[in-house]
Amino acid sequence: MSLSSQTMPKQAGRRKRFNIWPYVLVSPALLIVTFVIFIPVIEAFVMSLQRYDLRRPHKIGFIGMENYATIFQDDLFWKALKNTLIWVVAGVGFQFLLGFILALLLNQQFKGRGFVRAVSLIPWATPGVLIGLMWKWIYDGNYGVLNDLLIKLNLIDHSVPFLSQTSTAFPAVIVTIIWQGIPFFAIMILAGLQVIPQELYEAADMDGANSWQKLFWITIPSLKNVILVTLLLRIIWVANSVDIIYSMTGGGPSYSTQTLSVYIFNKAMVLDLGYASGMALILMVLLAFVAIPYLRSSFKEG
Amino acid sequence: MLKRLWVILITAILSMALVACGSSTDSAQQPSDQTDSDQSDAEGVTITYWYWADNSEYSQVMQDIIKEFNETNDKGITVIGEEYPWNGGGYSETLFTAAIGGGGPDVAAFKLTATPLFTANNLLLSLDEYLENWEDRDEIDENLYDVMRQAGHSDEIYVMPWNTQILYVYYRPSIFEKAGIDVPQTYEEFLEAIEKTTMDTDGDGQIDVYGFGMRGAQGGQEPWGSFIYGRGGSFEQLDSPEAIKGMEDFVNLFKNGYVPPTAPTDGFNEIIANFKSGRTAMTIHHTGSSQGMVEALGDDVSAFPFPPGEGQWTSMGDTNNVIFASTEHPDAAFEWIAYLATGKGQKDWTMATGNVPVSKSVQQLDYFQNDKFMKASIESMSYAGILPILDTTTEWINRVWPNTVASALLGEITPEEAMKILHEELYKD
Repeated sequence: MSLSSQTMPKQAGRRKRFNIWPYVLVSPALLIVTFVIFIPVIEAFVMSLQRYDLRRPHKIGFIGMENYATIFQDDLFWKALKNTLIWVVAGVGFQFLLGFILALLLNQQFKGRGFVRAVSLIPWATPGVLIGLMWKWIYDGNYGVLNDLLIKLNLIDHSVPFLSQTSTAFPAVIVTIIWQGIPFFAIMILAGLQVIPQELYEAADMDGANSWQKLFWITIPSLKNVILVTLLLRIIWVANSVDIIYSMTGGGPSYSTQTLSVYIFNKAMVLDLGYASGMALILMVLLAFVAIPYLRSSFKEG
Repeated sequence: MLKRLWVILITAILSMALVACGSSTDSAQQPSDQTDSDQSDAEGVTITYWYWADNSEYSQVMQDIIKEFNETNDKGITVIGEEYPWNGGGYSETLFTAAIGGGGPDVAAFKLTATPLFTANNLLLSLDEYLENWEDRDEIDENLYDVMRQAGHSDEIYVMPWNTQILYVYYRPSIFEKAGIDVPQTYEEFLEAIEKTTMDTDGDGQIDVYGFGMRGAQGGQEPWGSFIYGRGGSFEQLDSPEAIKGMEDFVNLFKNGYVPPTAPTDGFNEIIANFKSGRTAMTIHHTGSSQGMVEALGDDVSAFPFPPGEGQWTSMGDTNNVIFASTEHPDAAFEWIAYLATGKGQKDWTMATGNVPVSKSVQQLDYFQNDKFMKASIESMSYAGILPILDTTTEWINRVWPNTVASALLGEITPEEAMKILHEELYKD
């Protein structure tokens, strides 16, 4: 926009020469976006308007909004939506909090800092399915190391089947995703910390500011953009994540760990693709509510 | 840093190009093979075979069978075996997704329950023509062919029998002795035995041995079915008073603490590990696990058929093979599945894995006649059955059954409510 408005005054009158070059140059990007994003989304939308169940191929056909009507009457959908909300708020919230603290620690000078920084990245570099399997064994109610530790510390007197009870299964998977996501926040925030000019702190010192004041008046405001971007990304990723829950509990027991994305995955795995597409679009719209205000504000600043 | 990135990138591109070259030479070979002879397209061709194996030892057995077939078959057929995890039934979905997306194999190991899904999408090759001209046809019981037909809801046979697994009860004789009980002869006695073998062996006030290793995760519907039939219920009417009674028994085992508290999420690995480690006195599985049991427990493991109550039922598992309609080499594919059904592959595989053979002559071998686990399987054969194969069955097994039963076990819904849900979900249109 700004480029064309700059060149406009040069061309006198209404007659403008059509220049194809800008379009040619932009077209690869546009094509990629069209094929990779728009067409699949439209296809999913079309699919969500059909009874599209591959186990019943003879019944595939257009049914309008019926899938959506069924979804909104589906108790499991509402339960999954509620779970998603808890999953995202608790998961991302604690990841951010602990990641922030870790970043502040890693920003200090101490011996072996490079090593600690590298090691703290491990959870982030581990594939989700592997993390799921690992934690599944840690929580195991018969042979798990967590139960063993708690028993040896005399905190409990018999093993707790963490993943087999509705009351403990969901907190257990949330702890796992927190563990996975901390390094992401830590590394991003650490990078942000390192570009804060040291002079600001020196000036604050001269003014007699204490550590808390420096944190709230220098560090956090300087990190605002980093925090916003990482939170946004992570909210979307966590809301969409299937691997950890799926490999730990599959959404059970009694649907207690079934988030919306796991429900979608489960439905798609039994080939009820119309219904799954409908729910996927609802999730997309919900995430857009989070993403759009943010993108708007960042465009304005840009 | 940037330089290193470039090196990595270029290496990646080069290796991709190499892989592409490799696969293009493969595909270049195929058309020339086909033009070789229209009559027997089995000559000198390569077919891919998908299968699953319950443990790494069985993987090796299958690879050995494939190797031997490749070396000994006189038609120059090369089978490439690709293993995929069974994953509580997820295998069938992986296979389906691959097949419908055009990336499926020529031949695959297969479960009957998946038949309608695959036939409804015209993915499988009808075997009737091959079976008619097959010299070994009578080696397999006619009844098995009928089961294959029923599963596909059609008159044609799409599935080639390979082996079966019949569920029976594993038990630990030493624990039975300690509890002072004999092998239960009725369903009621079986419930009592579970209660009596739940014990605190070292007197610390904690239960060390649970009577029964209950499977609450995917796949648990099979042993669970025996409880439903034990009270006279059936899969046809899951919300009948008899079926509900069976469900109450099942739930009470959990509530009374006669099964490990992890039961709602215990699957194949957990029930087997718990039995082997002595945490449970009984569990239900088939001969596929018997070798591992003997390795872990020696003589201190035995088996009995699920005892009769008002009714009697046990689950008959099946492992079969199918040829995909998309294959370019159906003759070669049939040679291979015939080798597994009645050839040396049948004997090698069933002997190594302890599955019940379908070939009559292999069944007669002493090895199968003298085995206690095989004996329990064969005794159970007369009342063994399969779940109704409906459009809803896959989802019911994968999602509905585990979650609904977990809700009932954990007391969120009553057994009656659970059975209503299970019935409605299985028979919804």
